[in-house]
Amino acid sequence: MPGNPVTYTPLLTGVRNASVVERRRRERVGNALVLAGAAVVLLALLVIPLFLGASILAWLPLPDGAWSRLGILFAGSAKAAVCALVLAVPLGLAAAIFSAQFATPGFRSAFKPVLEILEAIPTVVLGLVAFATLAPWLKANVVTLLALIVAIPALLLAGALAFGGAFRRQAGWLPLWLAPVVFAIVVAVVAGLGPHQTDAIVPPTPWNAVLVGLALGLAAIPMIFSVAEDALMQMPSTHVQAALALGATRWQAIHSIVLPAARPGLIAAFALGASRCLGETMIVLMASGNTPVGDPNPLAGLRSISAELALGLPEAAPPGGAYRMLMLAALVLFVLTFVLNLLAERARAHLRRAQATPVIA
Amino acid sequence: MKRTASGDAALWACAGAAATCLVAIVALLVWLGAAGLSALWPAPIVEIGFADGHAVLGEMAERRGDTLVIRGSERERAGGSYVRVDAHAIVSRSEPRDAFAITLHDGRRLFGRGDVAAAAALLRSIPNAEPAGVAEWPNAHGFFHRTAMFLRDAGRFLAGSTMAPSLTGGAFPALVGTVTLVFLMSLIVMPFGIATAVYLHERRGFAAGLVRSAIANLAGVPSIVYGVLGLGLFVHGIGADVDRWFFADRLPVPTFGSGGLLWAALTLALLTLPVVVVSVEEGLGRIPPGLLAGSLALGATRGETMWRLLLPAARPALLTGLILAIARAAGAVAPLMLVGVVRLAPALPVDGAFPFLHPSRQFMHLGFSVYDAALASPDALRGIPRAYACALLLVIVVVALNLAAIVLRNRLRERYRVLEG
Repeated sequence: MPGNPVTYTPLLTGVRNASVVERRRRERVGNALVLAGAAVVLLALLVIPLFLGASILAWLPLPDGAWSRLGILFAGSAKAAVCALVLAVPLGLAAAIFSAQFATPGFRSAFKPVLEILEAIPTVVLGLVAFATLAPWLKANVVTLLALIVAIPALLLAGALAFGGAFRRQAGWLPLWLAPVVFAIVVAVVAGLGPHQTDAIVPPTPWNAVLVGLALGLAAIPMIFSVAEDALMQMPSTHVQAALALGATRWQAIHSIVLPAARPGLIAAFALGASRCLGETMIVLMASGNTPVGDPNPLAGLRSISAELALGLPEAAPPGGAYRMLMLAALVLFVLTFVLNLLAERARAHLRRAQATPVIA
Repeated sequence: MKRTASGDAALWACAGAAATCLVAIVALLVWLGAAGLSALWPAPIVEIGFADGHAVLGEMAERRGDTLVIRGSERERAGGSYVRVDAHAIVSRSEPRDAFAITLHDGRRLFGRGDVAAAAALLRSIPNAEPAGVAEWPNAHGFFHRTAMFLRDAGRFLAGSTMAPSLTGGAFPALVGTVTLVFLMSLIVMPFGIATAVYLHERRGFAAGLVRSAIANLAGVPSIVYGVLGLGLFVHGIGADVDRWFFADRLPVPTFGSGGLLWAALTLALLTLPVVVVSVEEGLGRIPPGLLAGSLALGATRGETMWRLLLPAARPALLTGLILAIARAAGAVAPLMLVGVVRLAPALPVDGAFPFLHPSRQFMHLGFSVYDAALASPDALRGIPRAYACALLLVIVVVALNLAAIVLRNRLRERYRVLEG
C-alpha cells in the first residue's frame, strides 16, 4: 500500500499554540484573501471590454475608412475560420463519435493524450510548418490536395463495404489498422500525382486561405474533439442498450438516439472551435500572407483581425486614429469570441440539466 | 444487409477520421524532429562542375524541384553568395575529401580545398575575418565523428548567445528569457488561481456562479486580446504612471512605460488563470468529503482545514495546474509581441548585477525567435532551419511539461483511490 496521501505530523503544532482570538483572526484574514482572489478574476473579465470600450469612446469619432477596413479584416478572419472548420469539424466530430461510442477503453486512454499533445504544440510551430514547408508544396500541388480530400473518404468507404464484416470484431482498435492505410493513400496520391499534375489550378499566392485552413484546422481539432467527446460520454449507456435490445444496429442507435440527445454538446464543440479559429493569431499571421483583400476566393490571401492587431499595435501610438481603429478591432474580436463562448456554455448547461432530469421514472 | 452495410460505412468513416488525426500528428512530430535536427547536422561540402569547365564549391542550402541552391564562400557578407543551379546543367557532382569549411565570428562560412596551410591562406585572403573555430573537413569524417560534431553544434546552439547580430548564434538568451518570464508568471498566477479555486470550492450561489462563468469566458478570450489589454492598460496606462511618479528623472526615456518582462508576465498570468483555477478546483473536488467532516469534527476551523489538510492533499492538482499553465504560457507568442518581446535584447533579464531580476527590461523568447527567424531573417535559407531548431526546442520543452502533467494527474487518481478504499 502506498504511503498515506495526507501528512498529519506538522498539522497541529500551529493550531495548538494559537489562542482562540488568534485563530478567529486568521480565519477572517484567510476568507478575505480568498474573496480578493475571486474579485480579481471578476475584475479581469470586466476590465477587458471596459478598457477597450473606454479607449474607443474617449477619442471619438473614428477615422474615415475605419469601418470598411474592419469589414475587410472581419471577412479575412471569417474566411480563415471557415476554411479551418471545414477540415476540423468533420474530423473532430467523427473522431469523437468513434472514441466515445466504438473505441475500447484501452484505445481511448491512449488516443486522448495524443490529441492533448497536439493541443499543447505552440501554434507558432504550426505556423512555421505551414509557412516554410506546406506553402511551397501547396502552391504546386493544389490538385493533389483535392485528390486527397476525395480519395481518403472514398477508399475508406469502399474498404468498409468490402472488408467491413471481417473487421467488425476489431472495431474498438480499428484506427490503428486504418492509420497505415491512410498513410499509404497519402503517400501514393502525393507521389503518383505530384510530378504529373497539370497546372490546372495555380493559386495566385503561396500563402492563402486553404493553407491557413490546413494548419488552423489541425490546431482546432483537439478542442472540438474533447468538447464533443465529453458530451457523448455523458449520454447514459442504457439508451443505447435499450435500442440494441429492440433490434437496432449499433450505428442506428447512435444515429437516432445518442447524436440527437448530445446535440447541444456538439453545438458547443462547434462554437468553441469557431471561437478558437477566429481568435488564433500566430498561424494566421505566418501563413496568410496578410494582404488586406476582401476576396472570397479560398486560394487568395487574407488579413485577419488578430494579425492586424499583432502587426499594427506595436507601431500605433495611443491617441492616434490607427490606435483607435485597432482598439475597435480588438473589441469586435472580444465580442465575437465572447458570444460564441456564451453560446457554448449555455448549450453545455442545457445538456447538463437534461442529463440531470431522469428520463425513465 | 443494407443496415449492416451503412453501419460498417459509418464505423469506418469515424475510425478513418481518428486514423487521419493520428497520421497527421505523427507526421507533424516526425517532420519537426527531422527538420529541427537536420538544421544542426553537419552538411557535406559539395563540388558541382558545369559543362564550361568551371566548378562551384559549397553547401547545399535548398533543393526545390530541378533547382538547387548552393551556398558558396561568403567573402563579403553572410547570405551574399548563393548560387542558383539548374540540375540539368550539372555535369559532375562530388564531395571531395579535402574540402574544408571555416565558420567566422559573424556567422559567415568559407569553403576551400586543401590542408591546414590552405585553410590559413584562405583566411588571410579575407579582410578582417575572425574565425569562430578551427577549419573542419566534414567530408573526410565518418558517421561517428559527424555525430560528435552534431552534438557539439547542438551544445553551442543551446548555450551560445545571440547578442551579436549573427544568424547562426545560439538560443541561450531566448531560452533564459522564456524561462524567466514563465517563472515570474507562475509566481503571480498561483496565489490568485488557488484563492479563486478555494472560493469556488467553498461557496455556492449567485456570486460563485458569476465567478465560474467569468473563468469559463476568460478561457475563451483570444490570446491576442490579452496582449492588447497588456499593452493598453499595463504598458501605456500603469507603466506610464509609474514612470511619472518614480522614474521622472529618466523621462522621456521610458522605464516601465514600454514593454518589459513584468508586463509580459502579468499578461500571461491573466491568460493562464483559468487553467490553474479549473485544475485546482477539480483537485479539491476529488478529495473525499469525509476528510473535511473529520477535521471539522475535531475542532479545526474551515480555514485551518483548507490550509493544513485540503490544500496539502490537493498538492498534485496544484502541480498539474502549474505545469499546464507553464505549458500554455511557453507557447503563447502573440500577446508577447505587443508587451515587450524583442528579436535582439541588449542584456539578459537576469544577471549578476543588483537587483538580479530586471522586470522592466525587454527580453527574447523562443517562440518569437521561431517567428522572427522564419519571417524576418535577412537570409531566408539560414532562417528557416534556425526557426525549425528553435521550434524543436520549444516543442520539446512544452510537450515534456504536458507529459509531466498527464503523469501527475494519473498519480493523483491513484492516490485518492487508496484514500477512498
